[in-house]
Amino acid sequence: MNKYTVINPHSKFTVLNTHVHNIDGVAKVTGRAEYTFDIKLPGMLYGKILRSPHPHAKILNIDYSRAMEIPGVYGVVTGKDTLGIKQGIWRRYKDLCDEQILPVDKVRYIGEPVAAVAAITEEIAEKALDYIDVEYEVLQGVYEPLDAIKKDAPEIHEGFERNINVTRHIEWGEVEEAFDEAEYVREDWFKCGGQAHMCMETRAAVSSYTPEKKMTIYSSNQSAYYMQALMAGVLGMREGDVRVIAQYVGGGFGGKFELDGAIFCSAILSMKLFRPVKIIYTREEDFIATKRRTPMFYYVRTGVKKDGTFCAREAKVFTNGGAYTGMGATALYLTGFFHSFPYRWKGYRYDGYRVYTNTLPSTSMRGFGAPQAMWCSEQQIEWIAADLGLDPIEMRRKNSHYEGYEVPGQATIASCGIDQCYDEIKKWIASKGKLPANRSIGLSACGFMSGGIFNWFDTPYSFSSAVVTINQDGTVELHIGAQEIGQGSNTTMAIICAEALGVKVGDIKVHSGDTDHCPADLGAWGSRQTLMTGNATKMAAESAKKQLLEFAYAQSGLNIVYDLDIKDGWVHAIARPERGEEFVQLVRKALRGKDGQRIVGRGYYTPHRKGMISPAYSYMLQGVEVEVDEETGKITLVDSMTAHDCGQPINHLGLIGQLEGAFSMAAGYGYLEYMPYEDGKLMNPNLVDYKMIRSTEMPPANIAEIDTYEPEGPYGAKEAGEGLTNPTAAAIGNALFHRFGIQMKECPVRPEMILNALKEKKEKEAQGK
Amino acid sequence: MSDPTNDPVICPVCGKKAKTGSAIDCARHMFGTGDKPHREWVNAQGLSFIDLLIDQATTPGNASYQILADVIEKTRPKK
Repeated sequence: MNKYTVINPHSKFTVLNTHVHNIDGVAKVTGRAEYTFDIKLPGMLYGKILRSPHPHAKILNIDYSRAMEIPGVYGVVTGKDTLGIKQGIWRRYKDLCDEQILPVDKVRYIGEPVAAVAAITEEIAEKALDYIDVEYEVLQGVYEPLDAIKKDAPEIHEGFERNINVTRHIEWGEVEEAFDEAEYVREDWFKCGGQAHMCMETRAAVSSYTPEKKMTIYSSNQSAYYMQALMAGVLGMREGDVRVIAQYVGGGFGGKFELDGAIFCSAILSMKLFRPVKIIYTREEDFIATKRRTPMFYYVRTGVKKDGTFCAREAKVFTNGGAYTGMGATALYLTGFFHSFPYRWKGYRYDGYRVYTNTLPSTSMRGFGAPQAMWCSEQQIEWIAADLGLDPIEMRRKNSHYEGYEVPGQATIASCGIDQCYDEIKKWIASKGKLPANRSIGLSACGFMSGGIFNWFDTPYSFSSAVVTINQDGTVELHIGAQEIGQGSNTTMAIICAEALGVKVGDIKVHSGDTDHCPADLGAWGSRQTLMTGNATKMAAESAKKQLLEFAYAQSGLNIVYDLDIKDGWVHAIARPERGEEFVQLVRKALRGKDGQRIVGRGYYTPHRKGMISPAYSYMLQGVEVEVDEETGKITLVDSMTAHDCGQPINHLGLIGQLEGAFSMAAGYGYLEYMPYEDGKLMNPNLVDYKMIRSTEMPPANIAEIDTYEPEGPYGAKEAGEGLTNPTAAAIGNALFHRFGIQMKECPVRPEMILNALKEKKEKEAQGK
Repeated sequence: MSDPTNDPVICPVCGKKAKTGSAIDCARHMFGTGDKPHREWVNAQGLSFIDLLIDQATTPGNASYQILADVIEKTRPKK
């Protein structure tokens, strides 16, 4: 049974902080919610993609004449049917735009699209793939970053010496001097694996190109605006001629805001055939041909004083970037930044190297580089505390961020509740009492951002925007560019809008995921929507409210407009709440007073002068109780506790759901989800062999919500739900350390690794080491 | 070392002043940018951009950045 506690609840709001069920919940559970899979258009064809069987090869020739002879096949496209534009999300950094979704000359990973077929049925399209003859010149491949930087390694992209794709350097303080002050220095190497996003809805798209040269794309994505802009770029169209609709999306987790083969190939086929084309990925395609969490090799050197005061840290990281850049360059930067979190370092230095390999490209995924960083950091900190004989919680607390702390040259921490997180975790540990012999508790701390400040997309639009329109019956249309991907952002925005306007959530109709009708927004990534779109929504609602109150003021005779307020649909004088009128009556008067023009409020948000990374940071502590079977090495999670500083919660139910979901994904990353490659080939691309955590393996997910107030967030809100993906793997590793004294340096921790570590430990003990 | 407050080091390739304007920050900027003109400039100084980068990646400390910073200092135009 999960336990949920609230520490520091704020004063009551009318709508905010109450339990609101997701506004799209009924449509989803009754099966009426329409996903891309459900789209059917007149004359629609079905597409399938032919994929490279080689990790690295030149494409010499593609002959699809035999495929075209199959009845029901309408067309085939290859790279030659495209403009050959190298695309990417890095419109400000062209070097990093390195991917042709249908390559013209060369393939760089197994599963890369080579050609696509459209046919009258999916089965015919699938069959036709066997009749496309591709002549390859197979090249030598390289699969690990430390091999790919060797002098004799094959060149994956022209002009990138030693296959180094991107470098990132972060440094503050006098690092060497700070190390000199240290009385204890520890160095470790770690390896962090990849992870599949595992959205329940696989990649999917329906594209429809018309003779009027307009393109409509229904797609499962995390940012309709990104898709619109990226597709216009690769198709040589104007943004306004491309419409992207993403009404219901079955999960994203960072993998769905880049172009994928489903969207691109369906669009190219549709342009060639002037028929709508639908492409839905199979689960296997989703595994082998969509990007994954970035695998990393981490070197960490940490210097501390004997009393546990942190002095300096140096980290060097090689990431397995795979064949293309994707969002991996941001993950490379963020892993370096969050590796310093949530602690104060006098000197900090990070060098990150993203390396091309002939494997599936790696990209952003929930946590965006931070889970890898915390896996290494939080275990090493635990080992240091043990080496020095210090209490690991108190050592962490002593060095933690605090409200008002400035990460030198990087960020200012305006709100920070980590101290209370430590208190709550200590209480939970104390409540456990003496544990059975095969169980132990591990913990890990971390912090995370509330949306990135980066504008590598080079958009002239504001980062987020919202438009509020009030109808004559008192209902409210809220148009936002934010993307609902199952995380509950539409509900969050409805709550913020209702609170700001003083009406009920049921009065708000949220419109999102359609570029023809919604303002531009950078979409669902980096935990940005509650804070960024939330600010835009609040601003738009407040603007509309102010316009309404101007009419109320004119008729009431009160001193100034601010003497009035709206709560629960009742427009009233603040000092005399009984004096007022219904919201809907005021709306009608205002409409008449404006010659019938609707009340429209606009809001936007782009962070300025908020540091290098993010306007706000959340903090959290994860505790896990782990049971280990020493015979088999099998791990079982028995119990868990999360203490999370989330600012002001907007929606309790949404918050709980997000934290539980993040915990399950993080736990899977820690000990189950493993992506083994052999010569560039993923060996377990199915749900049987890829061990995703199941409900029966989930322990209770107890939560202590620490309510701080974030000045930059709407009503004081900040991130909740992505950050918790970061600490859990290390907490599991730390539990193993406490139970057995073994130090796990590779993630995920698999049973054989535990058995080997135990065997090695016994052998050392037998040798008297 | 130059005094960054009075005498900021400007990137000899793109003319950008990196962060504090010190030579080491200029070196960081050159490695971070890493485009063809910056790489070619480093190589033209008798260094190997990629070897320095790999050394920086595989050994502790900031030796490569310091080597490049020293070269940047030496090649600064004399007043």
